[in-house]
Amino acid sequence: MALICVSGLFIWPLVLMLLASIKPAEQLTSDPFSLVPQSVELDNYQQALQAIPYMKYLANSIVLCVGSVIGTVVSCSLVAYGFARLKWRGRNLMFAILMGTMLLPWHVTMIPRFVLFSELGLYNHLAAIILPTFLGDAFYIFLLRQFFLAIPEEISEAARLDGLSEFGIYWRIVLPLSKPALITVAMFQLVASWNDFSSPLLYLSDHEKFPLAYGLEQFVSSYADQTHLLMAASVMFTIPMVLLFFVAQKSFTRGITMTGSK
Amino acid sequence: MAADAKKGDRWTGWLFISPWLLGVAVLFVYPFFASLIWSFTEYDLLTSPRFVGADNYERIAREVLAGEGFGKALWNTFYYAAVSIPLSTMLAIALAVMLNWKVRGQALFRTLFYLPSMVPMVASSILWLWLLDPRDGMLNAVLALFYETPPLWFQGMQEGVSLSTPFQFGSKDGLTLMSLWGVGNFMLIYLAAIGDIDESLYQAAELDGAGVWQKFRNITLPMLSPIIFFNLILGIIQSVQAFTQVYIVSEGTGQPAESSLMISLQLFLAAFRDLEMGYASAIAWVLFVVLALATWGLFRSSRNWVHYRGGRLS
Repeated sequence: MALICVSGLFIWPLVLMLLASIKPAEQLTSDPFSLVPQSVELDNYQQALQAIPYMKYLANSIVLCVGSVIGTVVSCSLVAYGFARLKWRGRNLMFAILMGTMLLPWHVTMIPRFVLFSELGLYNHLAAIILPTFLGDAFYIFLLRQFFLAIPEEISEAARLDGLSEFGIYWRIVLPLSKPALITVAMFQLVASWNDFSSPLLYLSDHEKFPLAYGLEQFVSSYADQTHLLMAASVMFTIPMVLLFFVAQKSFTRGITMTGSK
Repeated sequence: MAADAKKGDRWTGWLFISPWLLGVAVLFVYPFFASLIWSFTEYDLLTSPRFVGADNYERIAREVLAGEGFGKALWNTFYYAAVSIPLSTMLAIALAVMLNWKVRGQALFRTLFYLPSMVPMVASSILWLWLLDPRDGMLNAVLALFYETPPLWFQGMQEGVSLSTPFQFGSKDGLTLMSLWGVGNFMLIYLAAIGDIDESLYQAAELDGAGVWQKFRNITLPMLSPIIFFNLILGIIQSVQAFTQVYIVSEGTGQPAESSLMISLQLFLAAFRDLEMGYASAIAWVLFVVLALATWGLFRSSRNWVHYRGGRLS
């Protein structure tokens, strides 16, 4: 069956990665691709944890992820509400500008942002990466706006008649109704922050502050010939994302297909 | 609706979008103009920018003509995009079509195809560095059956999709292979789109005696064309922005022989290794214009091959 063969090809590299992470180092040099490990060396993981300050990096990653997810969900839902549920002069123009920012490649804004953040004293602080998420992201705002638009206007009208403030409607009615979309956005940002390599490369210089994505790269240059340790570290870095995918498969699939059917 | 509610709305709207307003001012408007101005200066971050006219742009033009520096990076990015986008489009559609066959365990296969896309780019780069190692790598162990001297992948400057060194795969081809492995996102988009195609179209075609290929060629492909178009644009943007994998497989150098020096990495190195902020800003603007032209060209051509349900738009 063609499906089985092709899916085998896709999954094979991951199987090899997993196997390499538990094989003894000698077997990896003599007979690297056999499917049977001579022995299961969980010690590889122990060693990988000590070869780099893994726990320190992990803690930084978690700070980055939690901060960025909070920032993204709070700011993007507020802004999307303004675009989707309120009528005001200048809204269409602002929305056009919002969509326009998506077309600007990051290359154009990278250097001035770096200079600005350095002058604000944010260089070498995780805040340089977290703070911008509190200022909204065009793509997530667009995604949430589409979702908010589908909520019947009558619900808001009724709440207004009951004397609920606009913020009250946002907080007590629209947000609870939009949980699936909010979870999708949160998941996307979580993955993006966990995987983000270029922002730490740009903004962080102090090993104490590296997140895993960047710390792991440092590992490559110093342990290039220690494949078993590299693979063990990579597996540990990958597994949270794979678990997340299985837990939140629906939100991911919905978000990705929403991208295609705008 | 009550008049005072309307009056309130006028300002509450701005209030709600205020986080983004601040963001657009600080993260877009200011950087937009700053980088435009700096592109006409010499600026090393330490001393203040010095106006040099169009020098940076002249330098870029010279490099494009000579095929070095930015010219080299432009070519590498073009080669990578021109090889990886068509291949990944075909692969994603093929996988989506296969997944659409009514087979047992469809959900399992979908997960298997998608799983590589969940592997963080840093981890998959480390993994492929190992798999594509010219001497000890898994792939060359297989390819040794077909090659006298197996390809060098990330250690070679060859371009496997060319007439001068056919099938001698080098660094960019390794990156292409990685992009094919991570095709899951595109596949999911196509899968959803295929699911939306009206079943009666196929039934009508079957009555007319259409075979599997004819149905694919005359129904599936035209119905998918708006999505293909959207994904092509996304693909161009992604290849131009490819950075993490390029940085890791070449340890941040773009080596060997600058064969994996893509535009994003070249700009990064110009700015933060060589501290040539003016030149780097000019690169960013040239890139912006090139991207805009490519997107515009694709939009123009789309009139001839993109079919929108219920007639063509525009």
